[in-house]
Order: sequence, then structure tokens, then C-alpha cells
Amino acid sequence: MTTETPFTHIGKPLPRKEDRRFLTGKGRYLDDVVLPGALQVSFVRAPHAHARIAAIDTEAARALPGVLGVFTGRDLAQWTAPLRLAPPIEGLHPVEMTTLPIDKVRFHGDPVAVVVARDRYVAEDAAELVEVSYEPLPCVADTAAALAPGAPLVDDTLPDNLVSHQSFRAGDPVARRAEAARVVEARFDLHRHTHVPMETRGCLADWDAGRSHLTMHIGTQAPHPMRSQLAARMGLTETQVTVISPDIGGGFGQKIALYREELTVAALSRHFGRPVRWREDRLENLTSASHARETHCVTRAAVRADGRILGLELDLTEDFGAYCFYPANYMARVIAMILTGPYRISDYAFDVKVVLTNKCGNGPMRAPMAITSWVMEGTIDAVARELGLDPVEVRRINAVRPADLPFTMPTGEVLEDVTPLETLEAAVAAIDVPAFRARQAQARAEGRLLGLGLCTVVESTTYGSEFYKAAGIPGSGHEAAWVRIEPSGAVNASVGVMGSGQGYETPLAQAVAEGLGVTPDMVNVHMGHTDIAPYGMGSRGARGATAGGGTLYLCAQKAAEKVLAIAAGMLNLNDAQGLRLQDGQVERRLEDAWQATGVSLADVARRAYLDPTALPEGIAPGLDVSLTYDPPAMTYSNSTHACEVEIDPATGRIAIARYVVAEDCGTVLNPLVVKGQQQGAVGMGLSGALFEEVIYDESGQNLTATLADYLVATACELPNIEILPMHTPNRKTPAGIKGMAEGGIMGSIGVIAGAVNDALAPLGVTAEQMPLSPQRMRALMRGAGNFTYGTSFSDPGTTAHDTTTHGTPGNSDGRTGRA
Amino acid sequence: MSTPVPISLVVNGEAHDLVVPPRKLLSDVLREDLNLTGTHVGCEHGVCGACTILIDGRPARACLTYAVQLEGHELTTIEAVAEGDTLSPLQQALHEEHGLQCGFCTAGIVMTFEAYLRENPAPSEAEVRDVLSGNLCRCTGYQNIVTAVLKAAEAMRGGRGA
Repeated sequence: MTTETPFTHIGKPLPRKEDRRFLTGKGRYLDDVVLPGALQVSFVRAPHAHARIAAIDTEAARALPGVLGVFTGRDLAQWTAPLRLAPPIEGLHPVEMTTLPIDKVRFHGDPVAVVVARDRYVAEDAAELVEVSYEPLPCVADTAAALAPGAPLVDDTLPDNLVSHQSFRAGDPVARRAEAARVVEARFDLHRHTHVPMETRGCLADWDAGRSHLTMHIGTQAPHPMRSQLAARMGLTETQVTVISPDIGGGFGQKIALYREELTVAALSRHFGRPVRWREDRLENLTSASHARETHCVTRAAVRADGRILGLELDLTEDFGAYCFYPANYMARVIAMILTGPYRISDYAFDVKVVLTNKCGNGPMRAPMAITSWVMEGTIDAVARELGLDPVEVRRINAVRPADLPFTMPTGEVLEDVTPLETLEAAVAAIDVPAFRARQAQARAEGRLLGLGLCTVVESTTYGSEFYKAAGIPGSGHEAAWVRIEPSGAVNASVGVMGSGQGYETPLAQAVAEGLGVTPDMVNVHMGHTDIAPYGMGSRGARGATAGGGTLYLCAQKAAEKVLAIAAGMLNLNDAQGLRLQDGQVERRLEDAWQATGVSLADVARRAYLDPTALPEGIAPGLDVSLTYDPPAMTYSNSTHACEVEIDPATGRIAIARYVVAEDCGTVLNPLVVKGQQQGAVGMGLSGALFEEVIYDESGQNLTATLADYLVATACELPNIEILPMHTPNRKTPAGIKGMAEGGIMGSIGVIAGAVNDALAPLGVTAEQMPLSPQRMRALMRGAGNFTYGTSFSDPGTTAHDTTTHGTPGNSDGRTGRA
Repeated sequence: MSTPVPISLVVNGEAHDLVVPPRKLLSDVLREDLNLTGTHVGCEHGVCGACTILIDGRPARACLTYAVQLEGHELTTIEAVAEGDTLSPLQQALHEEHGLQCGFCTAGIVMTFEAYLRENPAPSEAEVRDVLSGNLCRCTGYQNIVTAVLKAAEAMRGGRGA
């Protein structure tokens, strides 16, 4: 993976610094942080999806030896402020929630009371003894029920369950329908997922009564926003709260918001004047932490006979669950905004509805816009299928070409320095599509089901402040960093992002090393401690490299300027022109070569700190530099995924024969880490597309509360991924960084659906609903009229598309509880 | 049920006399009573494999075992795998091949394969994947873990690598 770059340290595949401690059992995760005398909590959770809380009897629980107290929503309401979310976004209802529910519970797993005890075993015993009397209310089990006239209200303060509704139109898609040779409609139903970090949530709150100061140990992707939230809701100033994030055992978006349990624990620590800790168990994590997705999309593409898309319309409905920890339009909006992605479409409309139901609340999960590429590429495949065209050709005829850049999407999003057509061609070439089609035809003649999927992804990676402002969402996309060269010449640095396992320590050290002119092993990047790190916006989306790395790189460059100004003085030069710092040594350009000066960074640092009167005129003592940076409104990476599958007609098992990703994510800080992110994202996406599913029954009971029910893919189910790396730098970001790590989810969901539907084409059925489980595959095949074992299949180009399965997947898949 | 009972066991070569409640999980005893926090608890119902340790040399789930069952047994945890500052060939290969990300599942995977590679020094990729299927990893997609295990096996057989 060698690429020619102008960099010395950026782009090197250095193994990670954090590995050694993780490999030897010396990592320090939340549960490894021990404070003497810490109390433990256990939450009492609702067994109903929707019910009034009539009474809570805590007497038996409080009587248990070792129990220090049992508290409810009314107690927490005295100690903490409610969360109010009311961004000025048209069509979005403001919402408010108390720290724990007081009047009613809204989903199976909603916390209604908390037990504080001397250890976790006793706390869990006591939680069993808390008797809550409920008056069950009708359950709003899905979006159809939620939107029905007279539906019960999930949130009693809202006029209805449609918490957010936005429409948009560019050009005239309705007129394009009239001009079209065909209007192709396609449906996409991405089921409910949850994040499943291997380390569940948890926190250790430590109230120091003497200093009136809260220290919150918590694995969080966004330490400073977490501090702001804690301070505001506890009635404290931001000088009174320190958030410390230890090593995090995975986040994937689940560890951003301040959850109700965490605020409760902080309030209890203040109440007792003692450390209080909470370790979520896996049942709680699966049922009550945060869910994601459950998005239903319908597209209508107005197309010419040659497959060129004239206009596109999207109807999107998201089942958001019962509570809003984020503005409800947040995830769905991004899907609609970037849907057209790699294709030249100018006439576009969307209608996006976000609906409350009696399920666990949704949040962003790697990638919040996960369904996007499936919807767009599935639409393209539907066009090819209905018009009898080659799906590769339909992609080519619609693709954004190099000459089209910069390309403005119909929603106003601007694509620059992206290469979707190039990644498509690279993936198509790697697969050798004609050879595959020959194998496929042969296999079909033998009664076997082979399929090829293609999915081009345009991944929104780094959200700058301009994006938030345009979206009407309060907040910022900027990032902050400092770089300090200590008197010995050692380099400390810090930034506001916080990794949750990606491996930030090495790539971010490479960014500092590059900007400053030292080696990465001289740099230690400190993250996750709000008293050490500058106020940054944390890790979300794919901003770690562009916002985190970019800010550190610029800050290190600024530090280098000062170092060289001091070095110039030491070398009796008028200025730093012709000087550079390389691997910690000051070099001077003489004629055409860089030559050693004998001055090291340590020499400069010693003078800056210990002999400041010798510094050049106007240079202040010390080497302590800070900087903030706001990335462009949006940066994009792009990729094309290609995947070959074979479906076993007898069992419905999908075997992945080959998986290729051509990905252009610009300048990469560390290709080893990037490749790990690419493989990991594809793995997570496939796991979700094939196996994982949060299932609620019609009464709102969560049926997938263990890892034996919520199925995460194992090593036996996931393929090896072939990566074709491409590196077109973004000309507007520091070092040309673009960011990545969520596109693999988007691509894998889209490509596996495309491959499966290509395989199913001879049967005339189309999978429109995920997960693509063996049961669903078998149901689809059973529903195909022309399917019997051992018979050969005709060429799909001549098979009529059977629309009888469209729109009724719930009837054909043999499962209950799905609308 | 909750009256603590005395037990004696050997952990990483060191003998311990402990007094623990009968219902206390081995994973909690290792972490809380012996301060061996390298063993992680991911699900507490035996699926994820993060808590895998060796009991008398064989992999076992510490979250499905009560400490009082271990009277007289010998346990090995992740803390005893490296020799001083020298990583085992498996640990070294996982580092070189980027076979870990958040690290939470890593101890369980290392313990599983430290035992397995002694039993089967020359596994195929399919065999490695089959054994690895007892450990969930949410970050890596498993590919680099498989590569690392095969590389470690080769190194341990005396071939080049690691």
C-alpha cells in the first residue's frame, strides 16, 4: 500500500501505540477505574411498552441489608433539570424529558427507579424487590399504528406522534415523471439495529463535597459536550465538572449523548457525597441503551429508456422509538440530503417523516445515514431490472464524471475532489464482470443462485460549522488542539476528539509529527480529559482524521514556526527562512540540499523555557501553542463495493464468495488504521444486513435481549475484504484529509442487497426488507412461483419481474410482529 | 447462599487463599479480589467470549463460572501471557497485523488461541475462523485477527514471521 505523497510521517502504516496495553491486559476501561467506597446502582426497568406509573413501593428493597436507598423520577427531578430539545427546525416538535420518568413509561426497559447499594449483587437483588404498579396503556408498536388517526400519544405533550416532518423539492420531479419512459418504484426497509459495543455503557461519578466538584469517569466519544450537558443539568458551572474518558471498548455512536442513567448516577454521587458507579449489563444495553435505523424508504425514479434518471422522489419514514436524545430529524435528514450522491440528478424531492413509537429511542449508529447507498443503488438496480439494462451501464450513464466537479447536488451539497466513477470502474475491473456473468449463467443452468452486487458510496465524513448552521442545528463542527514542546524537547499534544477503539493515538501523533517536524514516537497525544484537552466537539461521524488530525497538524505547524524563529536566533540568522525541523533536528537549506545545523528541538526548547532572555526580540517564553480549526461545511469520501454471493436454495444461507472495495478517502494519516476501519465497517454492515435485528412483538416486548437472540456475526460468517486504495486529496482540508469509517457500512448494506437480488432475479422476486436472514431468503424463494429444486433458471433478462411480493414483505417472510 | 466461603486456587502461578460469596462470579473475583482487570466482562451470559481465561490450561468463560468451583485449580489470565516486556508470538502478530481495535475482546481472543495453537500448531484458515467464532469482536470484522493467528502459528512452528 505504498503511495507517493509529499509527507514524511503521514501515510505510514505504523502499528498502534495502544496495542501493547490492550494485548497484555493493561488497558484501563471504565470498570478498571476503582475508587474506594464506591456505591453501586441498579435500575428498575419497565416491563411494559407503555403504561402509567400508579405507585412505586420501595420498602422491601430499602429494607435489604446493604441497600442505601431507592430513588425515583420525583427524586431526580429535585436534583436535576430536564432535557429540552427545541432546535429551531421547521416541522420538528420541541420535546422535553425528565431525568427518570415520573408519570408513565414509554418502552420495555424504560428506567423507573434506581437502587443504591454497597455492591452490584445486592443492588440487583434489591431492584427485584421494588414493586411498581402500572396501568398499561395501548402500545404504539410501529409507524403505521403511530400515524393512524386517534393513535395513543407516545409523548403526551405533543399533538401527535409525527415528531418531525420535512419536505424538499429541487427542480420539478413531477414534470420529469410525465416525460419519462418509465417511472420505477422501489422499496427499502432497513430494520432496527443496536450498536452492541463489546463494553456496555457505564460510569463512575465522584462528587467532591469539599471542592463542590464532580468528576465523571465515563467512556464518551465527546467529553466536552458531555461536560456541558452534565453541568447544565446538575445546575453546576463548567468549572465544577471534569469528564474523564478512559479507554473505550467500542462506541459506534452509542456513547455520545448524556443518558438518563448517567445523569442519575452523577446526581446520586452528589446526594451521597460518595463515588457511585453503574455498569450496564448486556440485557440493559440491548434493550435500553440506544437503538438505530428502522427506516423505510420508497423511491420513484423517472427514467429514460436508456436508464438515465430524469427525476427522483424519496419518501422516508423512520421509527424513532420513544425518546429523543437527538433532534429527531438528525439522522433521516442526512439520508435525504445526500441520497443522490454519486449520480447526476437535478430534479429531486423528498418527504421525510420521523415517528415516535413505544420502543427504545434511536440514536446515531455508525453510519447514521446507513441506508442511503442501498436506497440509491437499489433504485439503480430496479431501473436496470425493469428496463432490461446492464446495471453497470445504468450506473455509468448517470455517474458524476470528473468533468462535472465541483458538482452541486440538488440539495445544495457540493462534491469536490471525489471519484465515484473511478471507484466504480476499479471495482468492475477487479471483479471482471463479463467473466462473472459467464459463471453465473453456467451456475443458473445447474440450478444454482449466484449474484453480483455493486454499490457506490458517497460518504459525508466531516461536518463543519457551516453545515450545522445551514441545518438549523445548534452546535459546531470546529475542533481545537494544543501542542506543547516541553523543556526536554518531548512533545505533548491534545485535541477534543476521543477515540473509542479506532486507534487515534498513532495516526494523530503522525499528524503532529508531520506538522512539527519530529518523529511520531516523540509525540504523546492526550485525549478524553476535559481539564487537559481543549474544548472540542468530540468524535462523531468520521471527523477524527479531518477535524482531529487536521487541527493537530495545523497546530503543530504553528508550533514549528515558533521553534524555527528561536532556532534562527540561535544560528544568528535574521529570520527562519530556509530552516526546517526534521525528525527533531533543525536543518538549513544551503544551495540545493538540507544540511544539519547542530541545533535540535531540545536545544530550542531549553532556550525557550530556561533561557528566555536570550530569545529573539518579540518572542515570548515557552513553546505552548493552541489553535482551533473549522473544517469545510462538508467533506466527502467515496467508494464502490462489489460482492459476489451464492444463495443456498435449501437453507437460504448467503455465502459471500468475494468482496472488493475500491475506496478513495483522500490523504490517510495511517493506512493500517484506515484499512482496519474499512474491514471493520464492512463487517459491521454485513452483520446488520444479514443477521442482527431488534425484534419487538405487537405488545412492545423486546424479544432480542441477549446476544443469543440479537445475532452479531462471528468469524465464520464474514468474508475477507479486498481493498483497492485510492487517495485523491481534498484540496480544502489540511494535508488533503477527507475522513472515513462509516462508508463501509453504507456500501456493505447496499452491495449485499444488490448481490442477493441479482441472485434471486431468475425467480422473479426481490428482497426489499432486511435482515437478509436465511428465513427471509427461504420465504422469498417459497413465494416465487417458478422455483423448484434442481431445475435450471432462465436468463433473468427475460424473466418478468414479479411484483406480487412488493409491499407485502411482512406477509411473505413468515415472521410475526412486523408491519 | 451469601455466606462467604474460603477457597484456595492458583492464578498465574501465584497461590491465593480467598473468602468469597458462593454466588460471586469468577470474572468478578479475578477483577475485584485479585485486581486482574485484564479479563473483561462483555455479556455475562457466555456468548461474547471476552472473559475467556484458562482453567488448568483449557479455555473457559469466567462469567459462567463461580469462583467457589475453582478450589485447587490453576488459572491463567491475560496478565501472564507476555514474558516481561516480550509479547508472545500471538500478541506480537496481533500487534503487527492490526488484529485489535478497541481491545475489549482482545484478552479473550488471546487466551482462546494461546491454548488452541498448542493443541493445533498448524490450523487452516477455516479452523481458525471456527475457533474464533466463540469470541465476538465488533470492531475488526475478524479478518486481521485470522491473519494474525495464522502468522503466529507459523512463527511458533519456527517459520519466519512475527
